[in-house]
Amino acid sequence: MLEDAVVRKVLGAALATGGEWAEVYVEDRLSHNIRLEDRRVEELVTGRDRGAGVRVVRGTASAYAYTNRLDVEALLEAARVAAAALREAPQQEVRDLRRREPEVRHPVAVDPAGVQRTTLAELVRRADEAARGFDPAVAQVTAGYGDVRQQVQVANSEGFSTLEERVRTRFVVQVVAARDGVVQTGFDGPGRSQGFELLDEFPPELVARNAAGRAVAMLASRPAPAGEMPVVIASGNGGVLFHESSGHGMEADLIAKEASVYHGKQGRRIGVERFNGVDDATVEGAWGSYAFDDEGTPAQRTVLFENGVCTDYLTDLIRARQLGLRASGNGRRQSYADVPIPRMTNTYVLAGDDDPEEIIRQTPRGLYAKSLGGGQVNPVTGEFVFGVVEGYLIENGEVTTPVRGANLVGDGPSVIAAADAIGNDFEVKEGICGKEGQGVPVGNGAPTMRIARMTVGGTGGPA
Amino acid sequence: MTVELDGIVERLAGEAAGGEGVEAYAELTTETQVNAFQGEVERLTSASSSGVGVRVVRDGRLGYAYTADLSDQGLRECLAEARANLEVSSEDPGNVLPEPGDHEALDGIFDPRQAAAAPERKVALALDLEARTRAADPKVTQVESARYGDVVGQLAIASSNGVRGSFSVTHAWCAAVALATEDGQSQVGFAVDAARALDDLEPGPVAREAANRAVRMLGAAKPPTRTIPVVFDRMVAPSLVGVLLAGLSAEEVQKGRSLFADKLGQRVGAAGLQLVDDGRLVDGPGAAPFDAEGVATRRTVLIDDGVLQCFLHNTATAARGGASSTGNARRASFKSTPGVSAHNLFLAPGELDQAGLLAQAGEGLLVQDVSGVHSGANPVTGDFSVGVSGLLFRGGELAEPVREVTVAAQLLDILKGIVAVGSDLRFTTGSIGGSSLLIGQMTVAGA
Repeated sequence: MLEDAVVRKVLGAALATGGEWAEVYVEDRLSHNIRLEDRRVEELVTGRDRGAGVRVVRGTASAYAYTNRLDVEALLEAARVAAAALREAPQQEVRDLRRREPEVRHPVAVDPAGVQRTTLAELVRRADEAARGFDPAVAQVTAGYGDVRQQVQVANSEGFSTLEERVRTRFVVQVVAARDGVVQTGFDGPGRSQGFELLDEFPPELVARNAAGRAVAMLASRPAPAGEMPVVIASGNGGVLFHESSGHGMEADLIAKEASVYHGKQGRRIGVERFNGVDDATVEGAWGSYAFDDEGTPAQRTVLFENGVCTDYLTDLIRARQLGLRASGNGRRQSYADVPIPRMTNTYVLAGDDDPEEIIRQTPRGLYAKSLGGGQVNPVTGEFVFGVVEGYLIENGEVTTPVRGANLVGDGPSVIAAADAIGNDFEVKEGICGKEGQGVPVGNGAPTMRIARMTVGGTGGPA
Repeated sequence: MTVELDGIVERLAGEAAGGEGVEAYAELTTETQVNAFQGEVERLTSASSSGVGVRVVRDGRLGYAYTADLSDQGLRECLAEARANLEVSSEDPGNVLPEPGDHEALDGIFDPRQAAAAPERKVALALDLEARTRAADPKVTQVESARYGDVVGQLAIASSNGVRGSFSVTHAWCAAVALATEDGQSQVGFAVDAARALDDLEPGPVAREAANRAVRMLGAAKPPTRTIPVVFDRMVAPSLVGVLLAGLSAEEVQKGRSLFADKLGQRVGAAGLQLVDDGRLVDGPGAAPFDAEGVATRRTVLIDDGVLQCFLHNTATAARGGASSTGNARRASFKSTPGVSAHNLFLAPGELDQAGLLAQAGEGLLVQDVSGVHSGANPVTGDFSVGVSGLLFRGGELAEPVREVTVAAQLLDILKGIVAVGSDLRFTTGSIGGSSLLIGQMTVAGA
């Protein structure tokens, strides 16, 4: 990390041509990733990445230059390159850098860097064994463990600096099951802003059985029906849907460009009365959490929907200023090679009052989406598509035949307006969210939810 | 700087101890991106970054480490980490380094005009693209994104087996997303152009295409569910071909994850269908004289007249399968070990342009956008179900726009159902070239 004197000098050079404010972001990242495939420990990779980016901002315009040389000369050159893109304004001063202290912490009990390589190899082997032992139909297992220690320093010419060490650990298992010519896959991948203690809560055997269970359950599936029907989404998975179909539209860059279906909807009733959604970077130890965002703004909890009413948007510094909103601490970047943009952290649909089993009992006919795959959304229209990786028919209030190849199609506002049952359970799914080519860790949580009507795409013909 | 990369990889390769193979792969990239918004430069990014990845093999084991710290100490630590990681990896006949071979230089992948392009011209191009997109149609109410980007890259590789190579490459591209609004409905349209140098980019056609694709979707509604012919637009065809690509990698075949695994020599596609990967096709962005482990690139016909001919190999999959490498080792960056992928993959173009395909089909759906490919298309099982939007057509003429539609089928049925490949093949920024594709019948699910 850089000394304050160096940082001040770089910020000074960055502001030399008339930016309103400037920022230096320094990152040093050490990662370990081990992967087992086809019963073999294929690779263990150690990665050391570091670099710094200098950003100069005027209004909504910004220039960014980065380098992975951390000497003063390289940093000053980056500052000059960034500054050269902005001109014609009076020069600003660099204020004294006050160190911000974290309000939330994400403690690490066991430092992953101290874990033996042989222990890591054993973890993935245990997962392989557990998955293969789950059912004779399990044909292939991929198991992976990854940890990263990311040191982040941010200094802003308006007079603050932050220093944070983030540690994240994740364990993932993917299983392929095959029987009678049918092939299905299953996945599980818990992750936390924690150390190696993650594995105490999620031992390899547990994760492996979850993944194998999903794959094996789907072997008996038949092609999903197509058409409109009620859809019950299992706990956790509704969070993924909420993230994609509504969360992205509440990111302030899209709001500012009027490129979101939620533009101008603050204070308006969008969802059913019982619908509450938040984005919360302060949840201790959660996968999407941190102490400061990648612009040095303290992590916060932002209410997106309160009793169905659209409340707040997710901002970075530029968009907060532009729109006259609070800086919500959602300015994130994948690495020093990227500019921060408004991103989600841990995005949760809050639990309601309904008994999850009762929700299914009161659904005469529909689809039970037990596990969703990735999704895609067009934030302008709010339209989305989601793959259902583990799905079942609901017939006469009971979960019956597994179905494969189902896709959920709809748009965000309609979904939360049609959420006619919200369970009293809650679960979180971890993932990597991609936007503008940048991937950041996000957690998505939700209770069991029923959407009264939704388009299901499948190959099994009309429902 | 090329000299510097060459020196780094040669020094690392020279560190190999007895019985051990060491390969070093180094990259240096300089990039610029400019985003224009409402007549101003919204964002300019300029970057220079470099790194090296070290692969160590011994007794059939593999160790890998990478670092962005190119100091002597950083490189020493990186090699030590790779050696330590080797100790816990399993033995695999694929853990070998390639023998050195000849590779011919490839003219046309590096354009010196790009390396010398002034920043002002890059900014001007982005602003011009934004202005043209806004002006292209009165219904365009916003230009959601107008971008220019470029990369000048240098790459060097050396191994203790005697592999040596380095080359430079340039890419420039511009892309626009137009937002059109009418009667409270908004629609977006995307278009992109790519070349080896900024001088060859054409912002005018990009602007018109982005605007047209947004405007023609206005008023889109959900159609009734039907089974009809479907034409995939040139810009969406790569997503479709991309799903096939995974199954054509020998790595996926060997790991039992390819639906093509037992289909060598069998008919997998319509008669006349030819699928080619050409690492020496300079029109494609994936062109390179050698692959990510120094093996010479070539032209590989994967499917010929509908019959599966071979799979794509790197040195590891070739060693495991008793085959020889097709020069298809690829890495996302110095941070990863070589995997298997295509350089420039495409379906050999046919006779008719898109209008011709629409006329041939008569009535059906033209798909202009697909979403959910990464979740809705499963290359292992062959299930394929994605969300699409586009325009219905009748009598070969485009008619009303539709949205919130899903199309679903089995991947192999899609391949066999390709009635015609368009003549409009084009590569832009990805490793898959796109042509319009006419599929005989697909279930199109709406209301």
